[in-house]
Amino acid sequence: MRRSAVSEHHELPPEKHQKLVKAIRLEWVSILYLLSAIVLLYFTLGNSQAMKAAWVEDILGLTPPIAFLIASRVRKRKPNDRFPYGYHRATAIAYLCASVALLALGAFILYDSVSKLLKFEHPPIDLVKPFGDQPIWLGWLMLAALAYSAVPQVILGRLKQPLAKELNDKVLFADAEMNRADWMTAGAAMLGVVGIGFGLWWADSVAASIISVDIVRDGLKNLRVAVDDLMDKEPTVVDDSRPDPLPLWVKNELMLMDWVKDAEVRLREGGHVFLGEAFVVPVDNEDLVGRIDRANRHLLDLDWRLHELVITPVPEIDRPEPAGQDD
Amino acid sequence: MTAPPGTVRAVLLVTLLALLAAGCGIPRDPESTLDRVRGGTLRAGITASEPWTTLEGGQPGGVEVELVNRFAGELGATVVWVDGSEADLISALEMRELDLVVGGLTADTPWQAKAAITRSYATTRVVVAVPSSQPVPDDIAGVRVAVEDGTDAAGILEDKTDAIAVRVPDVTQVKGSAVAIEEWRLADLDLRDTGVHLSKSKHVMATPMGENAFLVRLERFLIANQGEVPTLLDAAVRRE
Repeated sequence: MRRSAVSEHHELPPEKHQKLVKAIRLEWVSILYLLSAIVLLYFTLGNSQAMKAAWVEDILGLTPPIAFLIASRVRKRKPNDRFPYGYHRATAIAYLCASVALLALGAFILYDSVSKLLKFEHPPIDLVKPFGDQPIWLGWLMLAALAYSAVPQVILGRLKQPLAKELNDKVLFADAEMNRADWMTAGAAMLGVVGIGFGLWWADSVAASIISVDIVRDGLKNLRVAVDDLMDKEPTVVDDSRPDPLPLWVKNELMLMDWVKDAEVRLREGGHVFLGEAFVVPVDNEDLVGRIDRANRHLLDLDWRLHELVITPVPEIDRPEPAGQDD
Repeated sequence: MTAPPGTVRAVLLVTLLALLAAGCGIPRDPESTLDRVRGGTLRAGITASEPWTTLEGGQPGGVEVELVNRFAGELGATVVWVDGSEADLISALEMRELDLVVGGLTADTPWQAKAAITRSYATTRVVVAVPSSQPVPDDIAGVRVAVEDGTDAAGILEDKTDAIAVRVPDVTQVKGSAVAIEEWRLADLDLRDTGVHLSKSKHVMATPMGENAFLVRLERFLIANQGEVPTLLDAAVRRE
């Protein structure tokens, strides 16, 4: 069935496919590397609160790549009679779960660290014998493990960010941001461990509190994005800094057509792509079906992200109120 | 939250600086326990738990007392012993009125949140053994095994194996039949391990939370001296 309201490609145009393949490969590398860092941190956790926080952040760091990989499979599925709108929303749901987990765990570690600080708890770190007979202070191994968990993540983050922009993928973008910010977590945890080394018992809990505030902040930010997505908020650019200009562009294109007296466009995000409706007031009813069909083909060619647009002729347009003025 | 240029290098630099500090007495104690004990007094808490700690006639003795005395000797410190229940001693440790607590503590002690536990310096097992003169049974199912009354080994033998547990007041007095006994006593009592191990204990000492220089110094001592433990155990048994 050929539907003029839907673009030819289902998700990504062919030229973006190369980027997607590269992003998928990067996410696999991320997962494998994070797993190794998680195992390494687990064996060097000791009694350090800051190490625990850094460890949890690395575990949570797994969720965006996993969400991305699952979503990149699920959303390829074509719409069917049970899911007539397709599977674009799979990403948003994965994203919502991950951000709630991030928020809850961040809040827990924050509580744990602050209460340890208030109880004047002095963290003990003792000797370990990982290599044969030579005992070594666990603190040194903690520092090595933290360095290992930080440096490659920053590099991965830098590689992912341009891909996220190309693919218009918010999960990938958030993942890149988290990776890039990870040096702060590792750095704070390292300062905490060095602090313990110098006999500053509070350094560890303070570092852990700072890290957990950061986790909570990340969680809140991602939660807002996920909720906005599920609420069909107007599309925003990939770093969420401003509204995407595409709806305005589509409206302007419509207004430029000589048979259109008035037009209004509303779009929502579905993963990479945008879907929505255009309402038009035609000057007359002459060849209405043909005009709408031609307009549709033209508009879908504007931008690869515009995936589905239903154009509806209406006698007059009822424009939505600006936000916050209806109460 | 983006990494400014050179952050990768900054992380590496912190690591390097930290490693350079390795030689300069890291870790340190927040409350200077090690410095105070060195050439001064070591305040040690003791609760009796044979053969690790004994208090015969109020006089501290046993394997752990011997180890603590040697440790104090290395630091040029005199030991002041304080006896009490585990709960009392750990509370005193928490308030930094003691520097060390011994009393047959094991790595699974519930005091982990209140005291810094050392790594274990000895592991002991309770095993089912038979006299050396007898063949080792393939299976202890149905075998009568003497076990000391009121110990966890008695319960484990009863619940987790098919052997018939015979509760006795002192297993070392049992002659000519299978017994559940500490592995380190086998040679001494001329017994042979059947390969059935009932429980395992990792022996530790307790130090104040976060006094990492002191903790690390004690652990280095324990690692260097853990080979002495079997000799000390034998000596403790012979004195009985």
